[in-house]
Amino acid sequence: MTEFYLPPSPCTPEVVLSSSKSLLTLKGESYPENVLAFYASLLERIRTLVEDERLPRLQVEMRITYYNSASAKAFHRIFQLLNQAGERGCAVHVLWHFDPEDDMARDLGNNFREDFPALDLVDVPLAVA
Amino acid sequence: MSVRDILMFHNTFGVLPAASDPNPWFGHPHLSLHLGSIATLFRNGSMLAEDYLRMKKEINGNGIIFSFSGVISEELLFALGDALRRKLSMDEADANKVKRVFSVFVEQVQNIIRYSYDKCKNNGKGNISSGMVTVGSEGSRFFVVCGNVMHRDDVFQLKERLELLQGMDPAGIKAFYLEKIKEPAEPGSLGANIGLIEIARRASEPIQFDFTDLDETSVFYCMKVFI
Repeated sequence: MTEFYLPPSPCTPEVVLSSSKSLLTLKGESYPENVLAFYASLLERIRTLVEDERLPRLQVEMRITYYNSASAKAFHRIFQLLNQAGERGCAVHVLWHFDPEDDMARDLGNNFREDFPALDLVDVPLAVA
Repeated sequence: MSVRDILMFHNTFGVLPAASDPNPWFGHPHLSLHLGSIATLFRNGSMLAEDYLRMKKEINGNGIIFSFSGVISEELLFALGDALRRKLSMDEADANKVKRVFSVFVEQVQNIIRYSYDKCKNNGKGNISSGMVTVGSEGSRFFVVCGNVMHRDDVFQLKERLELLQGMDPAGIKAFYLEKIKEPAEPGSLGANIGLIEIARRASEPIQFDFTDLDETSVFYCMKVFI
């Protein structure tokens, strides 16, 4: 069983990863000094959840209001892993929250949807504050 | 630290002392230290405010909102970036523009932190990155300029990447970005390549850049991005 919580920091998102709730959420901003280190350890935990524990379904909520380019690459790795789980029968449902004025975030969501057909990735435009 | 101490530090290490230095005149984010002006400060102590005011006007004129030159760390990036974002949001109604300026700022400064080549790296006391970042506005556009010392051996590859981006149209840059997202990280790249592409995407026109020789191993690199 995985129950993991990481509080947000000024440049890293809040992370919730839960077997019991079949949930992965990332909320906040993402521009840490060492993006590789931060997301490598998260990827390992996700891998444990979807490969070792073989969850039948996973609800994913990506609500990152600002991310640097290295983080975008890390998200790609996460969705790649989740897509592999989807291909093995895990029902992965992703809510991709983004600022509707931010073309790059919209494009990235579209790109993930195209590249990872085993995921059900849904756009959720954020209301602009 | 007295002005003499700061000059000696700079002569020894080639960079300015840390922004966290308790001397209130230096390391203030609105003060970019022009060492040529230091000589004038020695001649007459009672000219202090006038001389610094002249320096401040020079720095904060030309539409400059914010200028920082010195030792840069991730903590400083966060603090400066936050202040910048808040200041821009006060004056600029277009929230997306503010986000684009902020994102160019973060990518540029993170590249400085990763890649600047400074004498401090060789003095056995660990790595320190230093560089220069200036944010300003010209009419309806914002600009972000960054400059840092780099190793001569790295110039060719950087120039190639910048020229490639300069020659691309927005659709090309977008396709290039999405293609690079998928590639595994190049060994030793630390993510800078995609950082440059992100900068090019956020920019409103092709990136301007330039290099100038410092000595046998070092080159000063400067880049200006309009948003």
